[in-house]
Amino acid sequence: MDQSVSPLLKSPPTPGSSKESSQSDRKETSSKSPRKTQNSESDHDTETETPEKAKAKSPAKAKSSPSADKKRKAETDEEIIAKHAKQEEERLKMQVLVSNFSEDQLNRYEMYRRAAFPKASIKRFMQSITGSAISPNVVIAMAGISKVFVGELVEEALDVLESWGDTGPIQPKHIREAVRILRERGTVPNSKKKKVMFS
Amino acid sequence: MAEAEKDQFEEEETEEESQKGEKRKKIFSKELRCMMYGFGDDQNPYTESVDLIEDLVVEYISEMTKKALEVGRPGRISVEDLIFLIRKDPKKYSRVKELLTMSEELRKARKAFDEIKYATSGTSK
Repeated sequence: MDQSVSPLLKSPPTPGSSKESSQSDRKETSSKSPRKTQNSESDHDTETETPEKAKAKSPAKAKSSPSADKKRKAETDEEIIAKHAKQEEERLKMQVLVSNFSEDQLNRYEMYRRAAFPKASIKRFMQSITGSAISPNVVIAMAGISKVFVGELVEEALDVLESWGDTGPIQPKHIREAVRILRERGTVPNSKKKKVMFS
Repeated sequence: MAEAEKDQFEEEETEEESQKGEKRKKIFSKELRCMMYGFGDDQNPYTESVDLIEDLVVEYISEMTKKALEVGRPGRISVEDLIFLIRKDPKKYSRVKELLTMSEELRKARKAFDEIKYATSGTSK
């Protein structure tokens, strides 16, 4: 996940894959885009086939004529270029920021980027729950989601710690309060609570 | 309110400990410490805090896994199921998309590299 890897991989973006990512990010388009993203996710490698398959599968697309699709494709290409420029700008800004870090900040940033859940442990754990094989992509996704989850917990606990005027390392009481706040927000799922249907 | 919270957490602990007092082994302790420091905690976080977050993460993963088993093809988990469960949470959703895209790019790069290696090793003889 290092920054140094991406320049090596920077091949000219193929229209199919960029279209996938730009369409998943664009929220202002009609309801067609979520469906198209879901379809394109399942045909991950066959990028050129994706538009045709999406057309065949989703009945809602019967409205758009082929010319409208081509027009949208052209707009998307421009948006792709703008998006890449924005990403490049963000990368540069990030580089400037990191180059000005103090040693403590550098240490923490390195830990932030490098810390990850071991894929083997997650795979073993998930297999013990499901009893069936888990594909490696699922393990990658789950490891990433868990890391974001920990991040949300720790950040909320730090906010609680500050608001209570405490100092020092995070204590379990801060974490418990953070969990309570996040449960209300819907971030932490809770299926242990008994659901009352009609009262 | 605080007591109800405490009961909830003690419930989790007694579920995992058997009646003979066996403790569940901590599977993420080392990595979690580094992760908590990276996200803003002290360089040496309290062990109780690390344990608590480990329990929360384990519970989170099992919840998601169980939910994913029901979604899509029942009894199997695919990436689409996870993405479906995550869809409302923007941070996690974008992170998963980013990870999968990068993993795919790496795979293609590795494949291209292997093909080049194969081609050059063939002609050099």
